[in-house]
Amino acid sequence: MNSEFLEFRDISKSFGAIRAVAGVSLGLKKGEFFSLLGPSGCGKTTMLRLAAGFEEPDAGRVFLDGRDITDLPPDKRKVNTIFQSYALFPHMTVRDNIAFGLAIAKRPKREIRAEVGRMLELIRMGDQAGKKPDQLSGGQKQRVAVARALINKPDVLLLDEPLAALDLKLRQKMLIELDLIHDEVGITFLYVTHDQAEAMSLSDRIAVMDGGRIEQVGTPAEIYESPRTSFVAAFIGDTNFLEGRIFDCPDRDYCRIAIPGLPEVVSFNDRAIQPGQPTYLSIRPEKVHISHERPETEARRNLLPAVVEDVIYLGSNTKYWVRAGSYRIQVLRQHARYFLDEQPIRWKDPCWIWWHADDGFMLDHFRKADESLLAVPPQRVGD
Amino acid sequence: MKRRKAEWLTSLPTLVWLTLFVVVPTLLVFVIAFRPANPYGGIGRGWTLDTIRALATPSTLLIAWRTLWISLLTTAICLVLAVPTGYTIARAPARLRNRLLLLVIVPFWTSFLVRVFAWRSLLHPEGPIKKLLEALGLAGPDTTLLYNPVAVVLVMVYTFLPFTILPIYAAAEKFDFRLVEAARDLGARPFQSFRKVFLPGIRRGLLTAVLVVFIPALGSYIIPDLVGGPSGEMLGNKIAQRVFSDRNLPHASALSAVLVLAVLAPLVAVLVLQRKDKKSKIIMGEAP
Amino acid sequence: MRRSRFPIAVTGLVLAFLYLPILILVANSFNPARYSSRWEGFSLVWYAKLFRSPEIWQAVRNTLLIAVSVTAVSVVLGTLAAYALHRWSSSRLQRLHFTLIYQPLVVPEILMGISLLMAFVAVGVPLGLFTIFLAHVTFCVSFVAMTVLGRLQDFDFSVIEAARDLGASPWQSTRRVLIPMLMPGIVAGGLLAFTLSVDDFVITFFVAGPGSTTLPLRIYSMIKYGAPPLINALSTLLLAVTLSAVLLSQHLADRRSGAG
Repeated sequence: MNSEFLEFRDISKSFGAIRAVAGVSLGLKKGEFFSLLGPSGCGKTTMLRLAAGFEEPDAGRVFLDGRDITDLPPDKRKVNTIFQSYALFPHMTVRDNIAFGLAIAKRPKREIRAEVGRMLELIRMGDQAGKKPDQLSGGQKQRVAVARALINKPDVLLLDEPLAALDLKLRQKMLIELDLIHDEVGITFLYVTHDQAEAMSLSDRIAVMDGGRIEQVGTPAEIYESPRTSFVAAFIGDTNFLEGRIFDCPDRDYCRIAIPGLPEVVSFNDRAIQPGQPTYLSIRPEKVHISHERPETEARRNLLPAVVEDVIYLGSNTKYWVRAGSYRIQVLRQHARYFLDEQPIRWKDPCWIWWHADDGFMLDHFRKADESLLAVPPQRVGD
Repeated sequence: MKRRKAEWLTSLPTLVWLTLFVVVPTLLVFVIAFRPANPYGGIGRGWTLDTIRALATPSTLLIAWRTLWISLLTTAICLVLAVPTGYTIARAPARLRNRLLLLVIVPFWTSFLVRVFAWRSLLHPEGPIKKLLEALGLAGPDTTLLYNPVAVVLVMVYTFLPFTILPIYAAAEKFDFRLVEAARDLGARPFQSFRKVFLPGIRRGLLTAVLVVFIPALGSYIIPDLVGGPSGEMLGNKIAQRVFSDRNLPHASALSAVLVLAVLAPLVAVLVLQRKDKKSKIIMGEAP
Repeated sequence: MRRSRFPIAVTGLVLAFLYLPILILVANSFNPARYSSRWEGFSLVWYAKLFRSPEIWQAVRNTLLIAVSVTAVSVVLGTLAAYALHRWSSSRLQRLHFTLIYQPLVVPEILMGISLLMAFVAVGVPLGLFTIFLAHVTFCVSFVAMTVLGRLQDFDFSVIEAARDLGASPWQSTRRVLIPMLMPGIVAGGLLAFTLSVDDFVITFFVAGPGSTTLPLRIYSMIKYGAPPLINALSTLLLAVTLSAVLLSQHLADRRSGAG
């Protein structure tokens, strides 16, 4: 008995010498809004095309509702796609575009008319039904593409970067609309995007992909708050990486870590780790606190003296880059309250930074190259 | 596997057709050049080198030389006229540009024979140009405008000019004219900026233009036939003569083989030039 | 920066050079004078003579018969070829295919004419309407393929995938999406093939046989052996026909790119 609704099992797919998908297994639950998130070329679009039936895997199988659909052509799958370019038929009106699937299925005319009317209602384009696609705005084309797919009542709706061609304002509007449509029709969405904000705001769960592999699967909060790999930590949001060696784990849940060039650091741990093992820590900038005055020493508080090297005031928050030992650490300070008479932290000021042991994460996997994904890659003394 | 089948199914009809009617006939031309003629205008048995040897006669060489210089001169004149025209069209405002382009294209859609005929009547001893020149005292009653190499070049320029303008326009349209401004800003005089910035910038268009004039010019037949007379004969006329009056197909083949090689030479030259350029794998720009 | 007037002046001269001969020819078709140097008033005498000539009508019949069948065959072959060339553009087979298709566009007509003549003579095919048909299809296919290929260049193939995705079989997606979308290109290619076939002289001249005289062959012998004013009239009619075909295909092309 398998509880997954759409399942990829050990999928591999190459194009010539390029390995687009390398042994990926993944399952979507019924009704879920699931996102594949990753940079371009990570294999996410290939996964979507495998689900749609536009590509055949070199190895592995695809299942829909327990049925093996790997060898079915696209027209025999109860799966529909929203294309990045929308792929509306330019020689047909909005109405005929939306009706296409039902017309191909040779449904009665009256039923088609009623269904198309209902869809036009859903996308609020009843008055545009006679227009050709090139008379529509980007947002309208998008909505027609959604209606054209949904009218077939697919088991799964596949969305290939559907917002990429829209400007920022429209994208935010469509984001809300897509969310509403998902809630309304209740079908499974597989959403492919390179935009972490889109994925975070829409998804029930996200799979982060890189280099044809899945780095991590989880809810948006899990992905952000406890990244498992340096890629996930750096691709989603901003972070600081610290490199050290496990010293010991006195009470199992927390380990002491020796970091060259820094005082000893304490970090939360949830897996089997041996003292002496090398490890990498990821600490989000907003989890690090900064102040002129030395705060109280507390258990599980990592407290370091530092010197401010750069300050960027951004209104709602301020970014600091401080030098602590041999590390340059990014700190993000939210201004819940900002006192104009408060003594500001300035360039070259000595200061203290600290974070709680629960806010640093030991990564399962670290790759030096992932540091380049950060907005401002870290420089260390000697670099 | 499925993919290969679809590819073969859609390609096979033209592949077979073009093999039968382009590749095989072209090879045949080279084969027949080594066959003797038979007295009934057909192809004899056995093999011979006589036909090839017969190519080296002074009259054939003279015609080959004339074919070459007429084609070169035509190409040069076409370029000189086409570059300013292509430039002007490319710099015209969008709406006017399309109109001008259509004006250039329309003549090349009209019947080729008709265009040649139009010139034949213009240059006719009783035609308007002759009368005009006589009235101006520039021509006597015995001056003939028709049946000489100059008439051939004139009509060939007329025929090929639209083909030259199109690729040059296409290249000029993509050219970034701010580069000319930059050159002027750096001290180049107008003509210098034209020669050192604009011309190199459209060199792919120039190459295409040279090919689309020079190659068909080498194979000209109707124009020298209708306005050239004996002193304006070109290789094409000789080939037709061998086929239709002498009924000697091997001779015609040998001459055609020479023409094939003459046509291949500039094609290969351009191919090599473009390899160096590494800009594109396509031999020419858009086909007219 | 003031732009030089020189290129504009050359352009004006070039356009005058291109159009004057044609305009004089059209004017003379309405001129009853035997030679075109003097205007003797407007007349349709040459047109009347033209319409009474049985040879002309026979030639028109032959020309149209060939052009229509050539257009039909080359449109089908050329469209298939263009599709293959675009769909599998990186395959070795298609590179060969492209080279072959390109040949008729670059090879001088006289070479194509003579080589086809040799082939027909060698195999023993009797020269006539059929050999003209074969020869015309050979070069028209290339022009159709290039025209359709031009349309395919900015064709978004995800539209075909979309049709498949929405339940259309391969054949349904071809018939309901691909062909309608390519139609302007196919029509433009067909018009081009038709006019090229109607207009071709050199190749036709080599592969024609007794009783297969086409209009250009007839015009040629009229030019060579007499009757110039008659040709003025005939040319003017031909101009009118080809121009309408051009304007129609231009219109189709514009509408297509406008819809982009």
